[in-house]
Amino acid sequence: MDGFIPISNTQLLLTVILVIITGLISALLRLGLLKSLLWGTVRAFVQLTLIGYVLNYVFAWNTLWIIIPILVLMSLIASREATRRITRIPYNPNINTFLSLTTSTFVVGIIVVVLIIGPEPWYSAQVMIPIFGMLFGNSMNAIALCLDRMYSEIHGHIAEVEQRLALGATPWEAVIPYIRKAVSAGMTPTINSLMVVGLVSLPGMMTGQILAGMDPQSAVRYQFVVLVMMASCVAIGCLMIVLLSYRKMFNTDGSLVEELRSS
Amino acid sequence: MEPALLVFKDLSRQIDEDGRRIVASGQVEPGQALFVKGSSGSGKSTLLRILGRILSAQSGEVWLEGRPWMTITAPQWRLLVQYLPQKPIVFDGTVQENLLLPFRFKLMERKGIPSPSQIEGYLKKLKLPNGILTQSAKTLSGGEAARIALIRALLLEPQVLLLDEPTAYLDDDNRSHLLALLKEWMAAKPRAIIMVSHNEQDLLAFTRRHSLQI
Repeated sequence: MDGFIPISNTQLLLTVILVIITGLISALLRLGLLKSLLWGTVRAFVQLTLIGYVLNYVFAWNTLWIIIPILVLMSLIASREATRRITRIPYNPNINTFLSLTTSTFVVGIIVVVLIIGPEPWYSAQVMIPIFGMLFGNSMNAIALCLDRMYSEIHGHIAEVEQRLALGATPWEAVIPYIRKAVSAGMTPTINSLMVVGLVSLPGMMTGQILAGMDPQSAVRYQFVVLVMMASCVAIGCLMIVLLSYRKMFNTDGSLVEELRSS
Repeated sequence: MEPALLVFKDLSRQIDEDGRRIVASGQVEPGQALFVKGSSGSGKSTLLRILGRILSAQSGEVWLEGRPWMTITAPQWRLLVQYLPQKPIVFDGTVQENLLLPFRFKLMERKGIPSPSQIEGYLKKLKLPNGILTQSAKTLSGGEAARIALIRALLLEPQVLLLDEPTAYLDDDNRSHLLALLKEWMAAKPRAIIMVSHNEQDLLAFTRRHSLQI
């Protein structure tokens, strides 16, 4: 870690300049974002400071009994966040979101940590928590996009879905064209990022490692692993959320639920 | 009197927020057409959709050739008792792909796709050119789409057709071709039609008919 330049308190305080710039733009255009901006800034600072302390302890303890509950807590928060902005769905999607998020992240996370990175011990908190954190964050957005798109597609094509049912389709066969659109909406941002990475942007993780003094060659290897793991995690997460959710759009007789029609 | 093909008894469902409901009972015999009448918004389409199991009834029961409807799975029932909405629905792709779409579903897959001559026979009877098969379905006019939707339903060999204003988009000539095809279809096997229509001609085309006021 040769080239690592620590940020002192004074230096940190200088970030206020950046917050003021953002605030001025918001005030100038009357975006009504000032309150969110200030609250967001305070929250980000407090949350990150706290997590810094927590991670210090967790890395020192480095036991599964601490790591697993933290990962589950992260998943709970992420699944709540993923569904909070989706208000139009005629049922509560929390459990399905939690299941999809947790399964996709754990399956891919374990493969990456144990098989690919292989730290000692295999559950090293210093590897597991950041990797799982990135997976949760990415999968959370993808699942939110996918769920929202599935609902709006089906809601916008009720007559078509009913026509397919009338032609003998099972509920799954009736909604599959819209499911495809939803899953692809969830996966597209991740796939796109595979295309432009390195050309347009240096991703956050790589930037962080390079700033922290890692040589770019090694940072690139890590970043590649992270990108492909995100893609597969998003694919699993989106597939699971549609498989778990589509049935909720139908009643026991396999016709569309009333709430979908009236909302 | 012949045994009824389809019987429905005390079918009910709320049709608006004010708690208005439809309650209907009736039956059709093989070879018969049942006309559902009522003022606009009285729930005629709702009744057809319930009978086709596209909407669920809140109470009541239906029998097809004596079999209670819940002993037949919903997808199977929907094939036997085909509902055609007033506004014809076609999907992306060619007309041919639209006609064969149901045969890609699990239920119809093993039956094998209908022969080209069967499809061409229907096209001819409805005065549609064979060239229409390769046309994009989304470019069809309302009248063409309505006839294609009817052919798509007939290819599934249902026992009962539930038709919601089937001639609404058609001119007089095409209307009479369509009605002639329906009569011919009904005569071939024990089949029946339940229809909503505002046109007196549609009603008069069928000799064995009765109506239900809701």
